[in-house]
Amino acid sequence: MTPLARIFAIVLATTILAAAAAVAQEPAPYSGRCTASVDDYFAEEVWAKIGAQTCLTCHKSGGDAEESELVLLDPQRSLGAEREDALRHNQGLLLRAALRKEGDSSYLLLKVAGGLDHGGEDVLKPDSAGYRILEEFVRRASAAENGELSATMQEDPDAPPFFDGVMMLSDRRLLRRATLSLAGRVPTGDELSVVNEGGLDALPAILDRLMEEEAFYDRLREGFNDIFLTLGYIDGAESALSYEHFSETRHWTQKHDLNHIADEGERQKARYKLADDYREALLQEPLKLVEHIVRNEKPFTEIVTADYIMVTPYTARGYGIYDELRPTFKNPDDPFEYVPVKLKALVGRDKRDDQESASGFYPHAGILSTFQYLRRYPTTETNRNRLRARMYYQHFLGVDALELAARVSDAAAVTAKYEIPTMQASECVVCHRTLDPVASLFQDYYDFDGVYGRRKEGWYQDMFQAGFEGEDMAPEERWRALQWLGERTAKDPRFATTMVEHVYYLLTGRKVLLPPKALDDPLLAAKRRAYREQRREVERIAQRFAESNFNLKVAFKEWILSDFYRADGISGGVESPERLAELDDLGVVNLLSPEQLERKVAAIFGKPWGRLDGEMAMLYGGIDSQEVTERAADPSGAMGAIQRMMANDVACENTLSDFALEPEKRRLFPQIEPDVVPGVSEEGDAKIREAIVHLHWTLLGREDAVDSAEVERSFQLFAGIVSDAQTQGDYDKREAYQCRRERDDVPSDDLYTIRAWRGVVTYLLRRQEFLYQ
Amino acid sequence: MRRDFLKACGLAGLGLAIPRWSFADPAPESDGAYEGPFYVVFNASGGWDTTYLMDPKGIDGINRLYQEGDILTKGEHKYAPTAKHKEGGMSNEDFYSEFGDELLVLNGLDYSVNNHSPGARYMATGKLDSLAYPTFAALVAACQGPTCPISYLTFGNYSATGNLVAMARVPYLPSLKRIANADYVDGSENWPYHDDFALNRIEQALAAQHEARGSQPLLPRLERAENMLYGSQVNSKSLARVTPYIPSEIPKERLFQQAEIALASFKAGVCVSANLTIGQFDSHANNDPDQMRLIPEFLAGIAYVMRRAEELGIRDKMVVVVQSEMGRTPEYNGGNGKDHWSIGSIMFLGRGIKGNRVIGATDEKQFHVPIDPVSLALDREKGVRVRPEHIHTALREFAGIADHPFSKKFPLDVPEKEKLQGFWG
Repeated sequence: MTPLARIFAIVLATTILAAAAAVAQEPAPYSGRCTASVDDYFAEEVWAKIGAQTCLTCHKSGGDAEESELVLLDPQRSLGAEREDALRHNQGLLLRAALRKEGDSSYLLLKVAGGLDHGGEDVLKPDSAGYRILEEFVRRASAAENGELSATMQEDPDAPPFFDGVMMLSDRRLLRRATLSLAGRVPTGDELSVVNEGGLDALPAILDRLMEEEAFYDRLREGFNDIFLTLGYIDGAESALSYEHFSETRHWTQKHDLNHIADEGERQKARYKLADDYREALLQEPLKLVEHIVRNEKPFTEIVTADYIMVTPYTARGYGIYDELRPTFKNPDDPFEYVPVKLKALVGRDKRDDQESASGFYPHAGILSTFQYLRRYPTTETNRNRLRARMYYQHFLGVDALELAARVSDAAAVTAKYEIPTMQASECVVCHRTLDPVASLFQDYYDFDGVYGRRKEGWYQDMFQAGFEGEDMAPEERWRALQWLGERTAKDPRFATTMVEHVYYLLTGRKVLLPPKALDDPLLAAKRRAYREQRREVERIAQRFAESNFNLKVAFKEWILSDFYRADGISGGVESPERLAELDDLGVVNLLSPEQLERKVAAIFGKPWGRLDGEMAMLYGGIDSQEVTERAADPSGAMGAIQRMMANDVACENTLSDFALEPEKRRLFPQIEPDVVPGVSEEGDAKIREAIVHLHWTLLGREDAVDSAEVERSFQLFAGIVSDAQTQGDYDKREAYQCRRERDDVPSDDLYTIRAWRGVVTYLLRRQEFLYQ
Repeated sequence: MRRDFLKACGLAGLGLAIPRWSFADPAPESDGAYEGPFYVVFNASGGWDTTYLMDPKGIDGINRLYQEGDILTKGEHKYAPTAKHKEGGMSNEDFYSEFGDELLVLNGLDYSVNNHSPGARYMATGKLDSLAYPTFAALVAACQGPTCPISYLTFGNYSATGNLVAMARVPYLPSLKRIANADYVDGSENWPYHDDFALNRIEQALAAQHEARGSQPLLPRLERAENMLYGSQVNSKSLARVTPYIPSEIPKERLFQQAEIALASFKAGVCVSANLTIGQFDSHANNDPDQMRLIPEFLAGIAYVMRRAEELGIRDKMVVVVQSEMGRTPEYNGGNGKDHWSIGSIMFLGRGIKGNRVIGATDEKQFHVPIDPVSLALDREKGVRVRPEHIHTALREFAGIADHPFSKKFPLDVPEKEKLQGFWG
């Protein structure tokens, strides 16, 4: 799907029916704004792929076809409600043309194929992908007019509210989810008290403070790397700095004076560390830009417009600008102190590699022009920056150009038939007219080994030239083409929705819903409703985000407070397949990534497990930002084994050691001692149950009552293990060696209760509430 | 509630991975091994040059390394000579000599698109215009081995699961060893974390908790997570069976490494299917050297799998699919490379597949030639363009999963009259 206008709410059938009713047999003139919503298929298929790309070229005020009946508006020229009005206007006109008959054929289809004296002649071949989209549009319009779509496409006007019967997280549990997710910690007692008293209203202020913590920025960078994947560029971190422009400085660590370290071995070690820190600092630069913008509550549009990059004392040396920047740094020896810097235009080893710049500076355009981003998505002679264009659309406008690639009836024949298929064959033009102008905007970054470098023969003429969504870039803007693109991106309404979708991904670990496609799916209406409800929330938050001058923290807060983030259960059994389909994606329920799981263990136990890195992290569904770029959504058996290892190991590491502390310092067992044995007294059993309630909250975030079935189950586990041990009789009176290690300051386990508590902790660590968020 | 829910899921297309057991059933014995067939999908990622393998031309400058008269045959197969040009790996000559009798080739496959991403998706799933469809390897794993701990193993390429089954990535053999004995400190059986009775109690508590959750009304997403999680932990115990089959020496070749992990998992009965892949086939520059390095490496990987499967005693249970997401143009570009071409080939061998056969063709300019879906003979006038959905429909039927609810949830919509008859011989 190419969601040109995801921003709009959609009611397909009612839209078409409304429009169809308006035209009836003899289409009445379109009378301006109507109440119909903009249809999904129209916005995302008809308009995005054909209307905006083909029709609008001539059918607009000032265009070649401005005297025709079909004068369209350009939605890109407006925002918010005006933009929807423009789309609605266009939809009305094209629906009329679709339903109008010439003989047995649709007027619209005849026209685009060059019939009825179409001034633009045949803009779409009958077997082309674009034509098929219009055929489908006509089919849908006709079906709606005949009432045939009502069963599957129409929303039930009597349907109960979408969240009817859906239970929300308690405020305390919501707070816990937010603190763990954003800052890798559990809520403080004070925060819990504030929420206990103030409820949901108290949360925004807590979130504001939470988003000032360093851990939040760690998570922010990690999440945005999942999206941009800039850590995954190949050939080493230094390769971001090209030989042509940084040959003297990029390997500065090799020559850096370390003679103050007398021992040769130590000196070599120090040099390795220097290089490692330098590489890490270079890799992190784009993500530090994200952090800088959010930390300082700058407009997040700077992600594509910032006229600076972030550098550290170490990376500044790589760029060769350390000496001039030195006074800027608080600590010139800190490899990771990032400051914003505007680079001067690049100077090459050879004069022909000098960068053209009217300002004398490198034309920074946020992350778009960073060497790391460009290296991560390199170009080739045949690719011609199209990968970059595709990633640009995906990252910043939420459009996946290849997601639903149009089928070409005979791609090989088309390739052979046309001299320049991407400019001449309508099947290809549909996408290339959008992608290639953006690809051409990257034309000065055409060095296959480095980054900056113009094509020796001049930019390709056999592809659409530099521009954006129908607007050509003036030649004098070429030196700052990416800035030109960034400025337009920042104004594009799709930018706000896409960033809000990114935040949703950070919080839930998954992408927003795509509109359902299967027209004959009996549950289409339910799925559409689920999509539409989520879409509305995306748009609402995007609006708030834009109103806040694109402060990304606002998007985080809005999502966390939204019903979509808080949904936690249903109040009763749901039998209806339709309702189940509506609820299918509801609830965060996200398997923690290796990094998140380590942070959660650290937050609860005071230290991470420490084994979910490297190969083990990959095995646990992690990414390497290069070959493996999507995190596992569901646990495989291999991951199940790792969960068991983690539960065994973390319980082993922390149970006895917790009991060894003074009660007030304990995290797990502050209210119980190992000498309390189940089944001995009511008071003892009550204490055990209280201890279990505490464990359930601490480990699982569950608010269980002392007499609940959940607590009873844990109690029975504890009591059962102790009982089995007593039956066994001959057991070691100390905790297992591997769990007590060499420590002498730990209590003995005469009664087997410590090991039984370890069993309970192991049990809890293997549960969904711990392993998911 | 649970059974009703599952029934509803089938209707709703909720994408639940449904193991053979449910909340209402007891957990399975974890030693119930899956015994085959085992499915391996080899991917030549980047787009292979089929004219240097199973669809040789040697005319009109299509191939610079040989002429039409140099083309070799083995039974019904025609193939390009590569013994003199290959860099390492296995020549076509050796490959056909060893496997030609059991090899089924389809030439003239219409990939329909010229881009890597949609092409890979289309070839892996049989569906071009959806991100929701599972790969064949994932689908067959979900249908035939939902309780296997690493039912669907993947080493890259398009690997979507359709939410039917968890995808397992096991990049290194040693890591498999490390997790195989999860209830022992550092995997050592001398050092259990818990006494047996305590571990049994823990497992019983988890089973009871799982059962209790199943009787509560849950959001579908949560219910699915509970189910997947419980299944993954229960089934993970059978990973211990893999360790005896992990070789002491790890091969250096990238496909061989993937093969060892897959074969050990097959042999242990913990895996149904594996996606094996190597990249860099995208030979826009210097096509011939690239393809002469990669095709032999690829073929050597296939041969390695079959030979090792023989050694492990599971060769007769192997089903192998060999594919790429696109072909290369008939002509060379200015950089001695070849660009994307939407017509190509696919190969199969293994259990239940009649070999020494070639179906379909490309013409002298490497264009598709339609075939009669009933006789499988070339039919330029009335034949069908064989596309990935035709292949996947045939694969589903071959694997006996065409009527499984999971397959029906992801229909391929090939008209009955277009279905390939007798494709597997």
